[in-house]
Amino acid sequence: MQIQPSDLGLIARVTTLAKRYGSGSGAVSALEDVSIGLRRGEFTAIMGPSGSGKSTLMHIMAGLDSPSSGRVWLGDTEITDLGDRELTLLRRRRIGFVFQSFNLVPTLDVRANVMLPFDLDGRRPTAQERAWIDELLDTLGLTARVTHRPHELSGGQQQRVAIARALATRPDLVFADEPTGNLDSRTGREVLALLASAAAKYGQSIVMVTHDPIAASHADRVVFLADGRIVRDAGRSGAEQISTYMLAMEAAA
Amino acid sequence: MSRLRDQAPTLLVAGLAAAFGVALLQITGILTAIITSQNGFSESATVQLMLGLVAAVFIVIAVYVSAIVTSNTVATVVAGRTRLIALLRLIGASARTQRVAIAREGLLVGAAGSVLGALVGTAAAWGIAEIGMAQGSIPRAEYSLLSPMLLLPVAAVVLTTWLAAWTGSRRVLAVRPAQALGDANEADFDEVSARRGRAVAAWVLAVLGVGLLALGVLVGLVRPEGVLLGLLGGILSFTAVVLAAHRVMPPVLRLVGRMFGERPPARLAAENAVRHPERSARMTIGLVIGVTLVTTFAVTMETYRSMLLDATDDRADLQASIGPVIDATVAVFSTLIGFSAVIAAVGLVNTLSISVMQRTRELGLLRALGFDRTQVRVMVLVEAAALTVAATLTGLALGIAYGWAGAQSMLGSVGAGGTGVGLVAPVIPWPVVGVVVAAAAVLTLAASVAPMRRAVRVAPVRALAID
Repeated sequence: MQIQPSDLGLIARVTTLAKRYGSGSGAVSALEDVSIGLRRGEFTAIMGPSGSGKSTLMHIMAGLDSPSSGRVWLGDTEITDLGDRELTLLRRRRIGFVFQSFNLVPTLDVRANVMLPFDLDGRRPTAQERAWIDELLDTLGLTARVTHRPHELSGGQQQRVAIARALATRPDLVFADEPTGNLDSRTGREVLALLASAAAKYGQSIVMVTHDPIAASHADRVVFLADGRIVRDAGRSGAEQISTYMLAMEAAA
Repeated sequence: MSRLRDQAPTLLVAGLAAAFGVALLQITGILTAIITSQNGFSESATVQLMLGLVAAVFIVIAVYVSAIVTSNTVATVVAGRTRLIALLRLIGASARTQRVAIAREGLLVGAAGSVLGALVGTAAAWGIAEIGMAQGSIPRAEYSLLSPMLLLPVAAVVLTTWLAAWTGSRRVLAVRPAQALGDANEADFDEVSARRGRAVAAWVLAVLGVGLLALGVLVGLVRPEGVLLGLLGGILSFTAVVLAAHRVMPPVLRLVGRMFGERPPARLAAENAVRHPERSARMTIGLVIGVTLVTTFAVTMETYRSMLLDATDDRADLQASIGPVIDATVAVFSTLIGFSAVIAAVGLVNTLSISVMQRTRELGLLRALGFDRTQVRVMVLVEAAALTVAATLTGLALGIAYGWAGAQSMLGSVGAGGTGVGLVAPVIPWPVVGVVVAAAAVLTLAASVAPMRRAVRVAPVRALAID
């Protein structure tokens, strides 16, 4: 019997992943032989300098891009060869996204943005899900803003709406792509604390791509990528420790 | 290069308007030449004046509609170039220089379009005349295709395109240099500034216009001169509708949007259709004008026909000759007005196309969140449908009201035995309504094909792009 990722306590897993762009002598390799499993309920940070392949890895794990070779699982579903239709459903039901530039739908108010994943699925949230959404809006301090449109909110508020949207369906995995990149440092810290507590309090699995050591210091686990390979896989680390390692990596390059 | 490619629709609109104007004048000239050769000069002077006036009215309508379309296209293009404009501002270009550059593009494109249009229009008129003369359906006569009058529509199109490009580029002034640095996602919801003057003018015109229309209908019950009051009232109140389009159209769009249901693609599409009220108003108003004019004319003629038939109850021979004359008049006039509707439709297709493409990131976001390709297609289609249906319904409603008022004020006093027909219900010309609705459906499909194809090609990864 084959071992399922869930048997290992994993929510997402990639094995011997490679991604190449172009062909022949002009080919560029973005990822080389990457194997990693993300543990259920953990807040994982993926770090690395620009061009290290961290974004490519996230795109592949989220079903937004396909690998050149290797295999990809979300939960116990192998998503390596899924078609557009299945990937769309997967993103709709089992993945949440938080983006650097917030990416709310400008024509919808806060509540409609948070409800969008349910609407897309053509269903109404259950009483339990509604209670969860209300709790989320309350925890994120958005209750008084539910009828506002994104352009009426500050950057930090918009990002909190995006977090509420990402958590609303209790997805298997939330992907956060530089979630503090467009925020001032105080607002950024608040957002990171919210993500960390979603993992600690609700057991939400989260993976965050960042190049900011302070952001990564909020995570349970920090994975470093350089030149398309995993070069270090550490537990919770302080910002200073992470910076030191990053600087050493730069010096070695 | 891409800057000029943005202007291709403006070229097309200017070309269409100029071709229409020149063709109409050429045909007027040829008809006058034929009538002069048949009946001598004295009679033809009156005919020429009449034909010239009719042609002038239709040309003014076409040029007016094309000016609205062009200013809307330019405004949309400017919105899409915000980043580039901000960058140029950042490195030291003044807003005014940039605006002048856009207006100059408008002048060049307008000039090129109207010259091309003039050639096409002349060729069309010459072709129609030669075919008609060869077949013997119109008598052969000497005519010239080089009247100085032809410069009028050409000049009018060049000037209005220039002016429209200037008006449409007003947004350049609002671009801040800092937008080159940050996220220049469009968040411009307050395009509708509180232009009180315009609102007051619209209200005054609306009240005056409706009052005159009512007065015209009442006077029309006694004397046919009521139609003059009605005509004035119609012009005033319709100008009010055009002036207040950004207030009138969004509620109609919302109402129509609701008809498409509560599913997410439909709901987002309905919201998209009103996200820039000013832009939606300009996108639809050209079509509203076209549909209103066609419907007004058709309803007037149809109501007129029914009144005439009533009045000539005892004259079967007269009744038989009324039908074809009215049918032919409706057909000719509808075609002439319909041309303006075509120009408006070109504008709508183009603006929708540009504005969908300016939403690449948002489309990527929806795909990332789980919109499938069909839902994206449905969203674009419903947005197009909401715009055309709203414009068509508004035009039909206004047209029926105006058409009825026109017929009533002109003919309320005419009737068998000099008693007058009194108040009658408007007669709706179903064939014309059918053609308008079918044209709207075709337009919806045409408007959504290109943006739909490009929208489904947007990869979900686009939502993650920092730009």
